[in-house]
Amino acid sequence: MRPFRYEHAADREAALQAGRSAAAAAGEAHVRAPVQYLAGGTTLIDLMKLDVMRPEVVVDINGLARQHGEIRSGPDGLQLGALVRMADAAEHPAVRRDYPVIAQSLELAASQQLRNMASLGGNVLQRTRCNYFRDVTWAACNKRAPGSGCAAIGGPDRGMAVLGVSEHCIANYPGDFAGALAALGATVDIEGPGGRRVIPFEELHRLPGDTPHIETNLAPGELITGFSVPAGPWTRRSLYLKIRDRQSYEFAIASAAVALDLDAGVVREARVALGGMVAKPWRSHEAEAALRGHPLTEGSAQAAAAAAFAQAVVHGEDRFKPELGRRTLVRALLQCAAMEI
Amino acid sequence: MEMTLNVNGRDHRLSLDSRTTLLDALREHIGLTGSKKGCDQGQCGACTVHLAGRRVLSCLTLAAAVQGRAVTTVEGLAQGENLHPMQAAFIAHDAFQCGYCTPGQLMSAVACVREGHAASDEAIREYMSGNLCRCGAYPKIVAAIREAAPQMAPKMERA
Amino acid sequence: MADDAGRPTGGLIGQPHVRIDGRLKVTGQARYPADEPLANPAYAYLVISAISRGRVAGMDLAATKATPGVIDVLTHENVGQEVKPPMGPDGKPTTTTLESDQIWHDGQIIAVVLAETYEAAREGAYKVVVRYAAEAPSATFDSPGVEVEPLKANETRHDPAKGDAAAAFAAAPVKIDARYDTPIQHHNPLELFSTTCVWEGPKLTIHEGTQNLYWLKGSVAGQLGLDLADVRTISRFVGGGFGSKGAPTSRTAWIAVAARRLKRPVKLVTTRDQGFTIATHRAETRHHLQLGATPDGRLTALVHEGWEVSSRPSSYNVSGTATTARMYACPNIATKVTVVHADRNTPGFMRAPPDTPYMFALECGMDELAYALGKDPIELRRINDTQTDPVSGKPYSSRSLMKCFDAAAGKFGWAKRDPKPGSMRDGDWLVGYGCATACYPCNIGPAAARLSLTPKGKATIQLAGHELGTGAYTLLAIVVADRLGLQVDDVQVMMGDSDLPPVPGAGGSNNAASTSNVAAKACEAIRQRLAMAAVRTNAGIFAGVDPATLTLVNRALVGPDGRSEPLETAASRVSPGAIEAHVENVPQGLPPDAAAALYHGRASLLRGQSREDVTAFAFGAQFVEIRVHRRTCEIRAPRAVAAFASGTIVNPLAAHSQYQGGAIWGIGSALHEQTEIDLRTARYVNHNIADYLVPVNADIGEVDVIFVPEEDHEVNPLGVKGIGEIGIVGMNAAIANAVFHATGRRIRKLPIRIEDLL
Ligand SMILES: Cc1cc2nc3c(=O)[nH]c(=O)nc-3n(C[C@H](O)[C@H](O)[C@H](O)COP(=O)(O)OP(=O)(O)OC[C@H]3O[C@@H](n4cnc5c(N)ncnc54)[C@H](O)[C@@H]3O)c2cc1C
Ligand code: SF4
Ligand code: FES
Ligand code: FES
Repeated sequence: MRPFRYEHAADREAALQAGRSAAAAAGEAHVRAPVQYLAGGTTLIDLMKLDVMRPEVVVDINGLARQHGEIRSGPDGLQLGALVRMADAAEHPAVRRDYPVIAQSLELAASQQLRNMASLGGNVLQRTRCNYFRDVTWAACNKRAPGSGCAAIGGPDRGMAVLGVSEHCIANYPGDFAGALAALGATVDIEGPGGRRVIPFEELHRLPGDTPHIETNLAPGELITGFSVPAGPWTRRSLYLKIRDRQSYEFAIASAAVALDLDAGVVREARVALGGMVAKPWRSHEAEAALRGHPLTEGSAQAAAAAAFAQAVVHGEDRFKPELGRRTLVRALLQCAAMEI
Repeated sequence: MEMTLNVNGRDHRLSLDSRTTLLDALREHIGLTGSKKGCDQGQCGACTVHLAGRRVLSCLTLAAAVQGRAVTTVEGLAQGENLHPMQAAFIAHDAFQCGYCTPGQLMSAVACVREGHAASDEAIREYMSGNLCRCGAYPKIVAAIREAAPQMAPKMERA
Repeated sequence: MADDAGRPTGGLIGQPHVRIDGRLKVTGQARYPADEPLANPAYAYLVISAISRGRVAGMDLAATKATPGVIDVLTHENVGQEVKPPMGPDGKPTTTTLESDQIWHDGQIIAVVLAETYEAAREGAYKVVVRYAAEAPSATFDSPGVEVEPLKANETRHDPAKGDAAAAFAAAPVKIDARYDTPIQHHNPLELFSTTCVWEGPKLTIHEGTQNLYWLKGSVAGQLGLDLADVRTISRFVGGGFGSKGAPTSRTAWIAVAARRLKRPVKLVTTRDQGFTIATHRAETRHHLQLGATPDGRLTALVHEGWEVSSRPSSYNVSGTATTARMYACPNIATKVTVVHADRNTPGFMRAPPDTPYMFALECGMDELAYALGKDPIELRRINDTQTDPVSGKPYSSRSLMKCFDAAAGKFGWAKRDPKPGSMRDGDWLVGYGCATACYPCNIGPAAARLSLTPKGKATIQLAGHELGTGAYTLLAIVVADRLGLQVDDVQVMMGDSDLPPVPGAGGSNNAASTSNVAAKACEAIRQRLAMAAVRTNAGIFAGVDPATLTLVNRALVGPDGRSEPLETAASRVSPGAIEAHVENVPQGLPPDAAAALYHGRASLLRGQSREDVTAFAFGAQFVEIRVHRRTCEIRAPRAVAAFASGTIVNPLAAHSQYQGGAIWGIGSALHEQTEIDLRTARYVNHNIADYLVPVNADIGEVDVIFVPEEDHEVNPLGVKGIGEIGIVGMNAAIANAVFHATGRRIRKLPIRIEDLL
């Protein structure tokens, strides 16, 4: 870990003030800015120890919990403060009842200790688990060292992405909660030196393309203050299915966040997001379109799954992933349709 | 950085690097070596402590960030000579072998019960999955928690 | 209860007892080596190589040295001459570290940064700029540039063979001919590898988690050219070993050199990822197995050929054919093992080193043969069971294999199994049952111990034993209390320090046998002195009685007719204070110099497969229920039952934990664990315990253990066979066999994962 200055921000204004010096690094990616916000620290401190992230200033934003630490549920939808802890959101009665896909995406993630620490804002900004990225002794990693190449292509790639990848980076976006937010069409509340803005969650993360080091559309110094999830007839019939080798405490190899509005078995609206093999949180509009207006059956679920993975790109060991992804989605859709609500 | 850490009810004034984690502060600077380092990356749970009553990983927590909040470690679990019911149950059920994961398991187990996540064996298994035990004491850890949970009278509990 | 000589004992051996060190472990007071309080320590951080073959062409240390807090940097240039390289796990030359600029493998130690704080040492290490002269490395089997070395038999290594296996196989009416693979695995004990060195004048004290205090001591003394008496190793509690802390490794001597240069204690706690390359691992193996049988199921041919990967300089191998060749009655046996040298770190012992990979092949093969014959897998093993070692013709000291199968099958509910693959279901889950034989050779070594007994009935036993979680402290307290007629709480056990009398390393499951037998011998020495004094005096009640008939029970010396005299009275005749005994035990069959060699850290074990008198193994049967999701193919193991017959069980409570832990290791081994290697660079990729998967609590359901009673008077006086390793041995195959039963897919490589079943 490189030396840094530790600052504690009592409130949002103080945090933004401290973040302003990062804004000077305009053009740099948010995650590479010299000032980093510290929420739970479960991504940031980990990557600083590994020498992957080297901020000069670490601004502790846990004091913002008073302003941005609440969960509000109402007729319009759900508001989640950025400083809400994963564990608290996962256990919130309204979230569990009305947005089960969110509760499940959180409670199936990490461990209870980590969920007690980690914030929702930090969670969506967690970084890839690509081991070539996390180990700085690999020289080639376009995400960590722009322009250096990609050591992962051609290596053991079981944990890599097959959707949205480029020839510059095949890293998987590992988070679970982001899938739920993407599926439900959430928006992100952002405050920055330039003021407030709200963007669709789907636009928060970027595809790697030829700039995998720029992971989000946040500008340096910008602060996520919360998420809004619109209400909809599909949110109660929703679930998160996570497939992994062990039963718990592991990132997904495949996942599906699905929500359905059914009318006598016919899909009025479907929401689908995929994980475990995606370059960024991945809403599958293709799968949704394939389902809309059709009875939800094994056959229509298969067709949706085929559409979702039509563009998958495989490299080596990861050849099985599109098939696993399809099966995961089919299973999730059928399970979701069978939910008693 | 000058800082004051409150651990097991006692204040410790320390001068530490801003990079020092809570785990290293406990082990290397305060002399409380009960909390263990099994990975230093949030992957094993051996460093689990309670921060303001909630279980967290001390290896991913900066010491500087916990000033003013109560830290409880395994050394703070027993009251004098009286073991916490969870400690006694771990001994009775042989819920450890090498004992290296045990401090973290105990801190997690006590929190698991307090959180209300010990209602069934299945819940215990899931909510104890953030604590690896390479010796494979899992079935006995579950048995110990099952037994200790009803004995954890509220009066035993610190706020 | 009676011992082997028919004398009554205290009845404590075989009674479950909670760990006497339990309180220390649950209160955070048990002191592992990195917990040792130190005055003014400096902190070390390792720099490891990022290439797998070549040389260090140069290092730029300027930024490191300019880092606030950094004191010194060790490299091959400044300290390379100060240390002789350690030997490998097989006692032969292995890869080196700072002795030269040569790089043998990924993650090799190439520098040590020393600083005032841990944080500064780590920062300094990150700033070291290394220039490499890299060469193309060979990663593993089939990589270009590997060297293939077919192993030859010598005094210690044999290729068990008998009859004409090739001809018998060719002629066999029923055949299995299959190839199996096992992966690279790392022990990953939860405790990180650490070393702390403290000098006082010429004397060096090393705090390091080790399974072999005297070997470590002897090795470091030799490497640094120190007097053996000047080196002390301390390791009171070890946070898991599983073999990884068995043989000395290179880091220790460098930390000693660092502490000498800095004239203050130096503490190194390595990182999890460094642990993958600065210690050992289980090498990947390949197997070609041929089984021939008659239509009624009798084996006629067994051909087992194995391949193992090792480093360039070391031929370390596990040659588990020594086990598989003697498992079943078979008239024609041929075996062969080949080492493939690659640019890798040297492998080493890992829980049941030979048996785990080799029995995977054999026990899967037996299951395949059972299906080919249309026979129940248990019946196939019964047909081929034997009480005679098929290779040597010697009797087994005891072999309760089929009793284990029957006990475990009953408890498991094997009778409910429909043998047809894919036939059993529970909702969306395919259900499969599988079983396999477990076994482990009974090893015992020479050992020494010091025992004292006060007239008030307090005993202290001292020996340089190792507590890795096996319950070693408690085991000795039970044996001593049992033999001296005391309560377990009356016995203090001192271990974990090379200033105490030597015992062999804790490996090869010899620990319980070696230490309990020497402890019993020490107790017998004290009993004899009490008894001799009692019968010689005219004053006492035992005048003229045969001293062999006097026993110690309940703090009293007791005669054959039940008359007794308080211990205090009996003891006062021998000595005014405590009575002391210092004994050495050299099991029959070992060379007479075995005791002397022990003090130099060279313990020769009497091995179960190579004894003159009998072949000595412990046996068990392991059953597993596997569930595979019919769509997404996750594999879960909710239930396992195992039965073991391992002779005398001193403490069933700790033994149960050992067996259970072994079975859980087996679940990890079969379904989770694999170190991934980048074939282009010969570097490990998933070197952390989020990506190197080991089971978590939620992966483990019921793991039942049955103790099959067994008395074995041949194996050693106490009849202790060892339990630490057998628990994993049958699991890989039992799980693979259950996966076949659940799905109809025969997976012949480990770990078995989702993608194998899609
Ligand atoms: C062993 C392990 C297992 C895990 N398993 C899973 C899993 O199964 N599924 C899963 O989804 N996740 C998993 N995680 C990841 C974990 O959920 C994330 O690390 C965590 O959610 C990040 O939140 P945080 O508050 O700790 O973020 P921090 O580490 O504090 O911050 C992360 C990044 O976001 C920035 N940041 C934080 N908050 C804000 C904000 N409000 N505005 C702007 N920038 C901000 C920081 O500057 C930093 O760059 C795992 C982590 C570990 C260590
Ligand atoms: S996949 Fe992406 S993160 Fe991984 S090495 Fe390649 S560029 Fe880096
Ligand atoms: S040491 Fe903190 S989780 Fe492993
Ligand atoms: S008791 Fe050894 S790791 Fe849990």
